Amino acid sequence: MTIEKSDIEHLCGLSKLNLDEEEQSLFLNQMQSILKMIKELEEVDTEDIIPMAHPLQMSQRLREDEVTEFNERNKYQKNTNSSEDGFYKVPKVID
Amino acid sequence: MKRHTVKELQNMIAEQSISSEEIYQLYLNRIKAMNDSINAFISIESDEISPSSEQESSEIKGIPYALKDIFCSEGDKTTCGSKMLANFVSPYDATVVKNLREKGTVILGKTNMDEFAMGSSNETSFYGNVHNPWDKERTPGGSSGGSAAAVAAGMAPIALGTDTGGSIRQPAALTGITGLKPTYGRCSRFGMIAFASSLDQAGILSISAEDAAIFLEHMAGYDQKDSTSSTEEVPKYTDFLNNDLTGKVVGLPMEFFDGSLDSKYQGLVSESIHAYEKMGVQFKDISLPNIKYSVPTYYVVAPAECSSNLARYDGVRFGHRSTENTDLDSFYKQTRKEGFGPEVKRRIITGTYVLSAGYYDAYYLKAQKVRQLINQDFLNAFEEVDVIMGPTTQQSAFKLGDKMDDPVSMYMNDIYTISSNLSGVPAISHPIGFVDNLPFGMQVIAPHFMEHDLLNIVHQYQMATDWHLQTPALCREFD
Repeated sequence: MTIEKSDIEHLCGLSKLNLDEEEQSLFLNQMQSILKMIKELEEVDTEDIIPMAHPLQMSQRLREDEVTEFNERNKYQKNTNSSEDGFYKVPKVID
Repeated sequence: MKRHTVKELQNMIAEQSISSEEIYQLYLNRIKAMNDSINAFISIESDEISPSSEQESSEIKGIPYALKDIFCSEGDKTTCGSKMLANFVSPYDATVVKNLREKGTVILGKTNMDEFAMGSSNETSFYGNVHNPWDKERTPGGSSGGSAAAVAAGMAPIALGTDTGGSIRQPAALTGITGLKPTYGRCSRFGMIAFASSLDQAGILSISAEDAAIFLEHMAGYDQKDSTSSTEEVPKYTDFLNNDLTGKVVGLPMEFFDGSLDSKYQGLVSESIHAYEKMGVQFKDISLPNIKYSVPTYYVVAPAECSSNLARYDGVRFGHRSTENTDLDSFYKQTRKEGFGPEVKRRIITGTYVLSAGYYDAYYLKAQKVRQLINQDFLNAFEEVDVIMGPTTQQSAFKLGDKMDDPVSMYMNDIYTISSNLSGVPAISHPIGFVDNLPFGMQVIAPHFMEHDLLNIVHQYQMATDWHLQTPALCREFD
């Protein structure tokens, strides 16, 4: 499995991230060496091994369906300068 | 003012030889005097309210601490070492911060770190690298490099950090202090900015294991706001600090002692093993056959989780927002290009790659299976030994800039520490001596939720030795 420049461009699209030309070629080189390191995993026999999704053997805990948090919109919107009337503003989506 | 442990400060407050307000002021003065040369703090909280009488009386009331800038603390700037969060002000406290605040502790400031905790040298911080107090040309390690440097230099008696692949233990080793990564789920992750959610854990950087024991009790515990936090009862860790080590069985994994460690460091490790033997500890050679796959496993799992967690930085609700907004898609892409540094971008791209269609089974699923085998190695080993010991790092602090161009070489820094995160077991690093005036650390790893055992073992060592009390020469200029 090799990675090419077109893969990096595709990944930029998937992860909504612009990279300039220089970063793209740098990352291409660096990712090739990272993937080479990761390739070592192929030699491990993992037949019948259950993937480890979580470090502790515990089940998802549920709580009573009660309101515990209250609407603090104004407080949270202090972290943006692009809200209006309680809404967040984004570039126009629909013409 | 010389460097003080939390224990010493507790005694000073109890004897009324100094007030907690005076202690807070002394540390602030020291931070202001030293931070230009160390760059350990991104922001200084000089207007923190002094502990009020309304707070419950506690053994840590009035003790100041430094907080890694990855933890939300209400009303304070929380940057996570990134331009992305340069103007983010936490609207609430992380649970561990809230827990400590309720006990009357005071935040001195928010410490520097690798951007979003991704790095092992503190050089990926948007706010400049931290300098190691033992040698300012060298790294303090990372990602909790600011917290480590702050404690080593006496700018704070104790600090909070996070450890995803060694980010508490490695900087602790490189700055000559004690660093504890508790069991996964021991401390709540609520309000701790997420990097790799199945690996991240909050912990402590301190001068001594005793200080870590004092603080951990008040930080840890189940939190309804973090469904992965554990309901396991939190013991009073200080009650376990005087247990005799006679008969304790310590495993030495042959994979950590495969001859790759430079002889000058190996000498220190052998000396500390000898010191432990004198305390009645028995050593036994063991094998963790899959541990050599820890680094490749980690560099699939961690970037995968990172790419998912960092999707939230879209410039809409908080964080950096690009002004070049033609349409929504380019707005997102440009915001993220401007807000993230190169290490973070590369990990997002790598994580997206290993999770993408056609590669998921080959990389991510494969890594999660190998992770299971690594975990099983630990569980098997703990059938025969109480704890495992080995070096924390392969070398002492390296020069700033030395490894920045080669990510794989940088990633290999964490070769001894990563496996505990993959398995979720607790581990502690403690100083065991010096090579060329630079500290070196030894790691102790215990089964899940056996922090009290780790803390006691290291405390016994620290009662018999004084490596943890050595202070950098630079400190004396400010004493």
